[in-house]
Amino acid sequence: MNTQYDVLVVGAGIAGEESALKLADMGFRVLLIEKEPSIGGKMILLSKVFPTLDCAACITTPKVSETARHPNITLLTLTEADSIIKENNGSFSVTLKKHPRYVIEKDCTGCQECETVCPSIVDDQFQFNLVARKAVYIPFNIANPRVALIDIENCMLCGSCEQKCPSNAIDFSQKEEIIQVKVNAVIVATGFNLFDPTLIPRYGFGKYKNVITSMQMERELAPTRPFNNILRPSDGKTPDKIAYIFCTGSRDQTCGNAICSQVCCMYSTKQAQLLMGALPMADITMYYINIRAFGKGFNEFYMQAKDMGAKYVKGKVASVSEKENGNLILRYEDIATGKVTESEHDLVVLSVGLLANPAITSVFKDETLEIDASKYIKQPELLQSPALTSIKGVFVAGTATAPMDIPDTIMSAGAAAAETSGYLKQLS
Amino acid sequence: MATINPEFGKELKKYGAFDYNACYNCGTCTAICSLSTETDSFPREMVRLSTIGNEDDIKASLKPWLCYYCGECSSNCPRQASPGELMMSLRRWLTSVYDWTGLSGLLYKSLPLSILAFLLTAAAVIGFSIRENFDLERIMHVGHYFEMIAIGSVFTVILLPNIIRMWWFVIGKPKIKVPAKSYFKALGELFVHMFTQKRALGCDNNQFRWFEHFILVIGYLTLLFTTVFLDWFSSSNLFIIILGYIESIIVFGVTIDFVSSRIKKSKEVSKHSQPSDWFFVIWLLLMGLTAFIVRLFIDLNILEQNSWMYLFHLIILAQWAVIIVPFGKWTHFLYRSFAMYMAKLKIQS
Repeated sequence: MNTQYDVLVVGAGIAGEESALKLADMGFRVLLIEKEPSIGGKMILLSKVFPTLDCAACITTPKVSETARHPNITLLTLTEADSIIKENNGSFSVTLKKHPRYVIEKDCTGCQECETVCPSIVDDQFQFNLVARKAVYIPFNIANPRVALIDIENCMLCGSCEQKCPSNAIDFSQKEEIIQVKVNAVIVATGFNLFDPTLIPRYGFGKYKNVITSMQMERELAPTRPFNNILRPSDGKTPDKIAYIFCTGSRDQTCGNAICSQVCCMYSTKQAQLLMGALPMADITMYYINIRAFGKGFNEFYMQAKDMGAKYVKGKVASVSEKENGNLILRYEDIATGKVTESEHDLVVLSVGLLANPAITSVFKDETLEIDASKYIKQPELLQSPALTSIKGVFVAGTATAPMDIPDTIMSAGAAAAETSGYLKQLS
Repeated sequence: MATINPEFGKELKKYGAFDYNACYNCGTCTAICSLSTETDSFPREMVRLSTIGNEDDIKASLKPWLCYYCGECSSNCPRQASPGELMMSLRRWLTSVYDWTGLSGLLYKSLPLSILAFLLTAAAVIGFSIRENFDLERIMHVGHYFEMIAIGSVFTVILLPNIIRMWWFVIGKPKIKVPAKSYFKALGELFVHMFTQKRALGCDNNQFRWFEHFILVIGYLTLLFTTVFLDWFSSSNLFIIILGYIESIIVFGVTIDFVSSRIKKSKEVSKHSQPSDWFFVIWLLLMGLTAFIVRLFIDLNILEQNSWMYLFHLIILAQWAVIIVPFGKWTHFLYRSFAMYMAKLKIQS
């Protein structure tokens, strides 16, 4: 493997892919690393995008394939940056950790025969625990690379997959690899974390089965969805009175995230429209503090949801309790009347917020990659050059800088690529 | 039409309120409150009225008295605007609004003035004792009558006019028509709430806290009765002596727990203590404790040699009766009960 690259892009979500593709198209040699077994980030798991209601997978998979096949992009999945040290000549010395897949990537055909024989069944993290998967598995059916991996923590080492594999791709002897490379620039595109709603126990997530997150609903609505229908988890009933609780874990200082997550109002509005399409008889109620429909076409999109019949109620839900039949009672103050009100729903969706993912900062050993008050990567030149960070030669793209939607992420990634190419041209 | 006082926020800060302007009106506080109902929803309404400085509507509202401060609203407020502490500050502010003398407001707002008032009262008691040449029998005799006179005069001169003022702000001024017989019909509500604080039982479903308050109120009121009307310190009736002991132990036992939780700041309700809160619990503690020790000294026959102990008790008693009862937190006990009474009147109007 080559050990010299122009750019290291950390994170192969939509931002990392876009930056990598733009730079590769300009002729730079790009090393793209992703800690998950598939590239595509969070976007590849979404149903549709707002405000156009285009299929998310249909937009992102061409980019995913192009990224994976581009001659100037070297892609490493299941790989994390361990340390990035700046050398005296301005280049970066990078140590990467490639976790074992226990499957020989080039030999696996993605036939999924191994999955049929594996006896170990665990929660499927790519379906946000709505269904189960095997310990040897293809992450999801539009994964790229479409190659199996073994979740060794849950594997009982029975060897059934090894016997079943028609191309002898299973290799239990794989070890963690340490890879040393030199790069001239780094783009941080590490994205965001989703808020964990168990931190707000009064909403009952994890305790009441019919309280789900918006990401779980996203999976229920996606073309590659697990149930091929909208069902509530407790009894598989088709819900007909669905509630959305906005600002779960955003604009809330009690859980340490005081800022607005920018996308929840709109993705919830999008899901409401999709649900009204899928379940024409269902009542959908949106409990919000303020609706933030600020982008191009957003306000019209919000009005459209209202016209379709979604009910928007101003008032933050304070608590959720469960009835015996699995229905949920929401207690809130209806701000329009100023009265405490209770309402019953058979499915509650928590519009969870976006949180910073500052883990990458510990990788930079000699210089500090600074973060802002909300723990996102700090942009010292926010207005002039938003892609710059506190380290010269390190750039930032997408939701690593702040919560943002997909169009803004792609623009941010494009800006980071342009900024990086200018920097690389100056170096040579 | 309501008049707006733009300076209201500054004024309320002096009574302990925090940055309630941070509120973005999500209503979490109102919906999380276990006492808030569809007919009486709070505290967000009070936050809103305070933010815009609508004094008239706050004066006309009984809602501050309906809150028993479990602190759930403050600990779950996404803006950390401390709505619970605002309700507490509004109670202090309303106390000073109801008080016709204006002293209540001065003492709430100024710690030096409060301390001066305590010192002056102590000086008066000591001055009186010097005039009496520290004659214990004579001091105890006067002390006993002082209690009766203090109770009577504080009630008729200060508290009764204040309750009439409260009625004026809540029912008279907003022109709420209440049929005369409702005033009698609702009396039951007044006494039930005064003696049992039944409403606090629903507050955060914290039955232990209600029980502590309940036995404290009962202990305090019966101790008052035992010392004033059964003349505990001079009595030789064994039943009365033991009764007094039990009552005083209840008073200082419960208040020791209150003081320690205010020191530890373990609960939301005890996190933000104002001087008036400290005075109230500490003086209640000292009153129970000194009464207990005085009677103990009498029973051990050592009070003659230690007459300073009675003097100390009398100072505490005088400060309690002329400062804390008419102008301090003691009045909350009275206004809360009358708030429930007037709430009943409003429903029947």
